[in-house]
Amino acid sequence: MMGRTIFIDPGRCIGCQACVSACRECDSHRGKSMIHLDYTDEGSSVASLPTVCMHCEDPVAPCAEVCPADAILVTADGVVQQADTTRCIGCANCVNACPFGVPKIDLQAKLQMKCNLCYDRTAYGLAPMCATVCPTGALFYGTLEELQAERPGVQVADTFVFGESEVRTGVAMVVPADRVQWPVPGGLPVVEINGKDVRR
Amino acid sequence: MTEPPEEPAAPEQSDPVTRTGAPAGTDGRNQGPASAVAAKAAGIVPRSVNARAALAGVVVSVLLILAIVLGSRLLHNFDSALLPYAVATVFLAFGVAYRYTVWISAPGARRLLTRGWGSLFSAENFRKAPTALPKMIATYLGFQKFLGARSHARWAAHQLIFWGCILASLITFPLTWGWFTFTSGSGSGPGYEMRIWGFKILGFDSLNILGWLMFHGLDIAAVMVIPGAAYFLWRRMKDRGAITGQRFAYDMVPLLALIVISVTGLLLTFSSLFLHGGGYQFLAILHMVSVVFTLIYIPFGKFFHIVQRPAAVGMQLFKYTGRQDDQVFACRRCEEPIDTGPYVENLRGTMRDLDLGFDAWAEYCPRCKRVLRGSAYLSQVKKGFK
Ligand code: SF4
Ligand code: SF4
Repeated sequence: MMGRTIFIDPGRCIGCQACVSACRECDSHRGKSMIHLDYTDEGSSVASLPTVCMHCEDPVAPCAEVCPADAILVTADGVVQQADTTRCIGCANCVNACPFGVPKIDLQAKLQMKCNLCYDRTAYGLAPMCATVCPTGALFYGTLEELQAERPGVQVADTFVFGESEVRTGVAMVVPADRVQWPVPGGLPVVEINGKDVRR
Repeated sequence: MTEPPEEPAAPEQSDPVTRTGAPAGTDGRNQGPASAVAAKAAGIVPRSVNARAALAGVVVSVLLILAIVLGSRLLHNFDSALLPYAVATVFLAFGVAYRYTVWISAPGARRLLTRGWGSLFSAENFRKAPTALPKMIATYLGFQKFLGARSHARWAAHQLIFWGCILASLITFPLTWGWFTFTSGSGSGPGYEMRIWGFKILGFDSLNILGWLMFHGLDIAAVMVIPGAAYFLWRRMKDRGAITGQRFAYDMVPLLALIVISVTGLLLTFSSLFLHGGGYQFLAILHMVSVVFTLIYIPFGKFFHIVQRPAAVGMQLFKYTGRQDDQVFACRRCEEPIDTGPYVENLRGTMRDLDLGFDAWAEYCPRCKRVLRGSAYLSQVKKGFK
């Protein structure tokens, strides 16, 4: 079962950008935020969603698997690190293969960057920057037991469905109690791909 | 400093962390659940890749030994004092060929290799962009412009190390292989001859500028490498971004090795010029040990990026030739350009090779992927919680 990790609850997100600002303070990419805060239906809804790296476990970090330069390291504790600066060739394979839309790329510097789960902090038992500042608890860092102690009855899912594949992740999402371990949809209600209707 | 590795895979095996992704999974360095998945995903039995890699290593090292024997005119010109260096270069050749084969056996790298060369020899390249390749080699391999975009100081330090090491290798490798010889009729002064493979290339006076440069080429290289490596070492101890996730064997050892090599090299010159050879023996051994260690370390640690970096040129050329034909692929939802059409198709192929059943997602830009996932979550999972 999951150890200490981030639990995301988009239902609690108020789009305040505190996590984005805090992320800039993380040492591994000082000055640049690796959090994406998206307003999913701008204009007609205030719904917003923070995206951090989900630290995919199975298949192991698709970003690392498609990397032609072996640049993405997965540490023994399951944290998927941003690209090794000496190896990354800036090809953006990881950017376009990540089903969650996480990595960023600097095309000038030929360098990928992404959320490292604040490795400089979590490796020493501290919570990531984003989770320490989130005012509503949309980003929570701790164990499942700690989350449930604060929010009785809450359940989480760490499995997402993308097409024919399920991706199990190290970071989990909060789901309603009656949806225990319900695989979370990966989105893409695609109408067609290459001219072919792919709706079921 | 760490001991020279006994066997090729030693340095990374002893790392507390593992580099996963298909390449690692296929060369047996992996631990934990990652290896099985990555190996399965790669669709390759690790043992066969290892065997192929070992074979490539043996072939390349045998070729190098042949080149040494022939180039030194059947060892006539071979300096036996340099034997350890020559042996280390044979190990280096084995290691590079081995790691290279393992590396390009993984789906992502294998496809990049074929696409890169394919673009080079494609009609579009010859027709529309014949100068693209030389330009890209100069930008990405020679002057490393992308490093300037990361930081000017890092660029400058890296250029010093890069050109210093190139200079040092151009001098030492042929010397240790017995390819270069310097002969003189008169002992010192005029009449020095430089020969390659026994053929006279250059005659010079050892006392003039050219002669001085010829004999101090390695000192010049050391003077370039020391400030560069020292800057990176300082940065590794001070820069909080660099410290995050840094590993001693991977990040510090190569810098320390470069510094030890350069400093002992300079001290050797100092000893012979000013100390009448005082301490020379000891320095020579220290110098040799550090060089041999570094040569063997190259394929298995941080320095492997030297071998991998040309892939950047292949990738850029592949994208560039795609753009020449206006084959830009736009996100299916928001129509922002993602990359070239052939690139997206190639990435989807890599994802299929890896059994990642969501390669269709590559046709959407990262933001659309996030937004679609967010909407699906809010409308399907938390619909009762609006
Ligand atoms: S969420 Fe994306 S970036 Fe993070 S591990 Fe998974 S594939 Fe890689
Ligand atoms: S951008 Fe860098 S990290 Fe990402 S796949 Fe390409 S080489 Fe690997």
